[in-house]
Amino acid sequence: MSRQTRAFVKGVKVSERHGAGEWTAERLSSLILVPLTLWGLWSGFVLSGGGYDGAREWFASPVNAVLLAVTLLVSLWHMNMGLKVIVDDYIHKPGSRTALLGLIGLLCLAIAAAGVFFIVRLALGSAPLPAGFGI
Amino acid sequence: MPGDASNDPTDDQTGRFVVQPNGRVRPLSPHLQVWRWHVTMFASILNRMTGGALSVGSVLIALWLLALAFGPDAYATFTGWMGSPLGLLVWFGLTLALFLHLTGGVRHLIWDAGSGLTPRAADALSWASIIAGVVGAVVFWVLLFASGRVAL
Repeated sequence: MSRQTRAFVKGVKVSERHGAGEWTAERLSSLILVPLTLWGLWSGFVLSGGGYDGAREWFASPVNAVLLAVTLLVSLWHMNMGLKVIVDDYIHKPGSRTALLGLIGLLCLAIAAAGVFFIVRLALGSAPLPAGFGI
Repeated sequence: MPGDASNDPTDDQTGRFVVQPNGRVRPLSPHLQVWRWHVTMFASILNRMTGGALSVGSVLIALWLLALAFGPDAYATFTGWMGSPLGLLVWFGLTLALFLHLTGGVRHLIWDAGSGLTPRAADALSWASIIAGVVGAVVFWVLLFASGRVAL
């Protein structure tokens, strides 16, 4: 946490801890998400009203499946950072803050894991769940 | 002035001063109810609110994937809920949040690159991002209805 880094870069004061890295990561993820969001809106438009068969056909394209997985993961990364900023701003009790950040992290991880699992199955054309899971 | 006996912040009873974690007494920064309304402030709040709304939206996207992976019956149940008037309203709200967060995000990237930071340019960018976001979402849904993909 308290690892000290250079306080000045080219004569400009920079974060002595990890603030600069968080700032850069937020901007980097936004930059990546601009084209992915436009693609996501287009995909949502195409998928609307297409029903089950239309959606399965859409997932048969590896480009769609890969782009959706990338969009989901970068979005969750961006969302995790954004929610952390909100919690840091409004929750001042260290214990509550840590607990809330942990819950948000778990939620993001759960959505990421479940999302990628479903996307892979849909892309491979697997039989509908719970096939093979014996439920 | 700190230390001025006539205006000692440690004696202040109005709550305008707070003790910082380092033990120093500092004035409390003015919060929302003190600021004059301004479009850059509104645009900033809007970006945070839409980001929060989209976090809820990510759960709905995960549910969509789940329903699709569980086969035609589960998917029909899901589209039944989401195609209802209430469901469509929720998805319109999420589309609006997505468009506003997208245009707001581009605005912030422009500012972070060091451009558009004069008061006039910052106001213009804020208005432009809000208007573009609302227009984008409305056009998106007009096209959805016009193309017959969505019906009430």
